[in-house]
Amino acid sequence: MKRVLIIEDDDFLQGLEAKKILNSGYDVLSAQTGEDAMKKILEPNVDVILLDLLLPNFDGFEILKKIKENDKTKNIPVIIFSNLSENKDIEKAISLGATKFMVKSNFSLEELMEQIKKLI
Amino acid sequence: MDSKDDIEKIKKENEKLKFINENKSDLVSVSAHQLRTSLSALKWTLKMFDDGELGNINDEQKKYIGKAIESNEHAIDLVNYLLTFNNLEDTSMAFDFKKVSILDILGKVIDEFYGELRNKNIKLTFIKPATDIPDVKCDKEMITVAIQSLIENAIKYSQNNEEINIDLKYDPKNNEILISIHDQGIGIKKEDQLKIFNKFYRAPNAIKKETTGSGLGLFTTKSIVERHNGKIWFESSRESGTSFFILLPIS
Repeated sequence: MKRVLIIEDDDFLQGLEAKKILNSGYDVLSAQTGEDAMKKILEPNVDVILLDLLLPNFDGFEILKKIKENDKTKNIPVIIFSNLSENKDIEKAISLGATKFMVKSNFSLEELMEQIKKLI
Repeated sequence: MDSKDDIEKIKKENEKLKFINENKSDLVSVSAHQLRTSLSALKWTLKMFDDGELGNINDEQKKYIGKAIESNEHAIDLVNYLLTFNNLEDTSMAFDFKKVSILDILGKVIDEFYGELRNKNIKLTFIKPATDIPDVKCDKEMITVAIQSLIENAIKYSQNNEEINIDLKYDPKNNEILISIHDQGIGIKKEDQLKIFNKFYRAPNAIKKETTGSGLGLFTTKSIVERHNGKIWFESSRESGTSFFILLPIS
C-alpha cells in the first residue's frame, strides 16, 4: 500500500488530512514536530511527503533541504501544504526541490488528493 | 530650534512611524496566517459534513452547512485580500519586479479554477497567441492575484453552461501585452459602471447573484495593474456579458 507522510503540527488539521488520505486507500505516517519529522522521513516506503512550513522550533525549509540532500529520500515528491503564500516562500520551496506548493485554506482535501494521486 | 534640530526631529518621527508600520504589517501577516489555519479546519470539516462523510444529514442540515461553507469561503477571500492589501499598502515593501511569462501565469491560474469550472459546466477557452510573447517585467505574485480576481469574477457571475474566453495578445509596436477575459454573465449595469472599481463597492445585481463577496477584488486588481504602469478597463452589457482588459507594458 502506498504511504503518505504528513508533517503537520496542528492536531486537528493533521487528523482531517489523515482521514481523507486513509479513506482514499493510502497508508499514513505522521509527524507533528520537526525532530520527529527528521526521523520519519528516513522510514522506508514513503511515497509522498506533505510538509507544513511553520513547525514549533523548526523551519519546514530545513526539513525540505534534508530530504533533498539525502540520496535515500531525494526522489520522494514533496508537496508543501502551508498557509504561507508569499512569493519568496514559494520560490524558496521550489528552488529547494518541492514538487508543488499549496496554500491550505485555498484548497479542499479533494483537490489535495488529486495532487497526491498524480504523484503516486 | 534651528533647522538642524528640526531635521533630526523629523528623522526620529519617521523612524518611529516606520517601526509602527512594520509592526502593523507583521501583525496583519501573522494574524492572517493564524486565521487561515482555523478557516482551513472549518472548510474541510464542513465539506466532510456536506459530502456525508461524517454520517447522513437531512435536507435542512445540508442547507445550513451550505450557508456555512459559503460564509467560510467569504472569510478566506477576505484574509487573502488582507494579505494582498498588506503588501500593496506597505510602501517599504517594494514590488518584486522580475521578467516572467504571462502565458505561464495564465495557464497556472486557469488550472486552479478547474474544479469550479467543472461544477458549473462552464467552457473556458484560452486563446494563446500565435507568436512568441516576451516575458513581462512584473511582480509575479501580484499579477497572479489580479488575474485570479478577474477569472474568479467571470466564473462567479456566469450561469451554468456558459462560456468564458481568455485572450492574450502582444503588440510589438508599443511593446505591451493585452489580456482580455470575456464572460457571458450578468453584466455590469450602466449606473454601476463608474463605481465598480471603488473599495468595498458591489453592484446590486452582483449581490443578488452571489450574496458573499468582499468588494475588494476589482479595487485590488486596479491598484496592482496601476502599480505596473498598466491600464485596466471593461466593456459590459446585459446581453453579451462583460469583457475585462488588462494592458501591461513589457518592461
